[in-house]
Amino acid sequence: MKRFMKNKLIPVILLLLMIMEPLTAYASEVPYDTYNYDYWDKVVFTPAAYVPDNSISGVSLGTTAFSNPQDIFVAQDGLVYLADTGNNRVLILSEDMKSIVKEITEFNNNGTTDTFNAPYGVCATADNELYIADSQNNRIVVLNLFVLLGEVEETEQTPELVKIVENPTSDVLEEDYVFTPLKVTVDYAGRIYVVAQFMFQGVLVFEKNGQFTSFFGTIPVKISTIEKFWKKFKTKEQREKSLMYIATEYTGIDVDPSGFLYASYIDSAGIQAIMRLNPNGQDVIKKGQNANLGGDLWIDGFSDYSGPSRIIDVVYRNKGIYSLLDAKRGRIFTYDYEGNLLYIFGGIGTQEGTFVTPVAIEAGEEKILVLDSYRAEIISFTATEYGNLINDAVELRYDGDETLAVDKWKEVLKFNENLELANVGIGKAYLTTGEYKLAMKYLKLGMSKQYYSIAYKRYRNEYLKKNLGYFMTGAVVILAAWLVFKRIRKKHKKMGGQSYE
Amino acid sequence: MNKYFSVEKFRYTFYLLSHPLDGFYEIRHRERGSVPIALIIVFLCGLTYTLNRIWAGFVVNDVNPRTVDLFSEMQGIFVIFFLFCVGNWSVTCLMNGEGRFKDIVMAVGYSLMPMILCGIPAIILSRFIASDEEAFYYLIVFIGTAWTVIMMLLGIMTIHNYSLGKTLVTLFLTIISILIILFVYMMLSTLLDQVFMFLRSIYLELLFRG
Repeated sequence: MKRFMKNKLIPVILLLLMIMEPLTAYASEVPYDTYNYDYWDKVVFTPAAYVPDNSISGVSLGTTAFSNPQDIFVAQDGLVYLADTGNNRVLILSEDMKSIVKEITEFNNNGTTDTFNAPYGVCATADNELYIADSQNNRIVVLNLFVLLGEVEETEQTPELVKIVENPTSDVLEEDYVFTPLKVTVDYAGRIYVVAQFMFQGVLVFEKNGQFTSFFGTIPVKISTIEKFWKKFKTKEQREKSLMYIATEYTGIDVDPSGFLYASYIDSAGIQAIMRLNPNGQDVIKKGQNANLGGDLWIDGFSDYSGPSRIIDVVYRNKGIYSLLDAKRGRIFTYDYEGNLLYIFGGIGTQEGTFVTPVAIEAGEEKILVLDSYRAEIISFTATEYGNLINDAVELRYDGDETLAVDKWKEVLKFNENLELANVGIGKAYLTTGEYKLAMKYLKLGMSKQYYSIAYKRYRNEYLKKNLGYFMTGAVVILAAWLVFKRIRKKHKKMGGQSYE
Repeated sequence: MNKYFSVEKFRYTFYLLSHPLDGFYEIRHRERGSVPIALIIVFLCGLTYTLNRIWAGFVVNDVNPRTVDLFSEMQGIFVIFFLFCVGNWSVTCLMNGEGRFKDIVMAVGYSLMPMILCGIPAIILSRFIASDEEAFYYLIVFIGTAWTVIMMLLGIMTIHNYSLGKTLVTLFLTIISILIILFVYMMLSTLLDQVFMFLRSIYLELLFRG
């Protein structure tokens, strides 16, 4: 027995440890894949950045179940606004989403009581004005919320109407155009941006007083070379019968504090599904290393599950970070202001934390909310330590505190060594502090050729400067040796000896 | 042994670099070349190619090192090499080419020499450059490739005793014959696979029934 203990037991224990170790290592708590794409566009699995923590339905709030809800909005004070489209009402939920602050089904329209018909989109401003895209009534209703939120001492009162935006008239609109607003958002100056049904010319922009001004950011139509080639062989009749190439509609909009509009749309090529429109209506979004802002990169295949991501909504979060919601595979893609993919999570399914028909995405403090119209639920996700670290690091970098971000990136690397963004972040910081050798190591891991080259050049210069003496000595020695060798050979030849060649 | 390997024959590979026309003529008519040496050069060329994929500096190297495998790279190089030789031989022997198969192997093999001679310095250099100096690396690689192409062209022209125009025509036909060989190979392998599957299912059926 003693001999057995000595010789066999230790290997057996080691073997057992080796077998048991992976069981704990691969335990997964989320019902979806969490991954990212590396420099070679390959899938790299990562820890979960966000985990589902709650789901809110009409029943859990103590009211009738939601019916085909289409939009949510999180206001600056944390209140959650929900467009319960099928029930023709708008709900205001408390910050923790456990109770209803107010249910709006009607409002006072110049003396008469008016109701909604399929309210599709909601948006609330900082000065407590609620914008409702009342789609089947073809108008946008703007309500004052002072009364509702208890700032004025009258509790049981119908909300006060501020204005109604309807019937945009303009030379650029057709005479019989029917205005059916779907999504609405408002910027700091009170300009109203509307995504309307069958409106392919872009986002409709209204002034603060409700006057229609212009279209904004038309989506470019892409025709492939093959389609152009075949078009040449078509007769006029064939051409008339074939499908028209028209731009797609926008699917979701959000506005950032400086007034730039984020607008998502469905890109059939899966390359760019989001625009950041400046006040002139030009797309100024930045693309990252993969030059892709369309969600998934691996989209080949023939099943229903393959194909490019269908980006259905966008939310601007904080410090340049924005998230896209994919209706095809139920994924949420989060990018930073440089267009780098930060993390991916979410999936289609029936488990808690997955979606059937995701329609809208919103973000609060440390939370991401996704509205599922089929399940009639708001699914809430909360950031893990990993997700928080990435958010913090990106925010610090956005503010220009690259050196402060390094500590965060180092923490991130403990969770996920493969995150190129973290390596680049650390590398850049070492570059500024002058530790070029370390900078080169991290920039190489982060696959940043541009910054690696800068670091390498400085390292090379430093190295050459330091060792210039040795190089010069070496050169002189070699030169001298060559001269001596030549002389000896000459002598040798003169003496009639053999040449070395 | 002397027939294949001798100091003189090794030196001849370097003589060829600067005198391709005379050199290849003597390979064809005076037995100055050696098939084993040509194959060694192909092997070294494959090695250089693989090393370039793994060890070329980070700035110029876009290859995922996890996808590089010496064995499969070497296999690829040799398959392409023999496909080209067989394709060229099958075309030229119908078009009054004077070269034998071993001459073609030697001509193609020897003309890969500049790839090695330029490839290795390029790999070493690439490890000491930054991104705005990568033009030097690409220049060296380009010189090696161009030199190889010129040597191969002149080599095939000389061993078959062709004019330049005819060489270009046969090279074009060589590519077509390579495609035909690949097509036949693929068709054969699929058909054989089906025959095999058929026999296997008969065997399994008998096994289950009996």
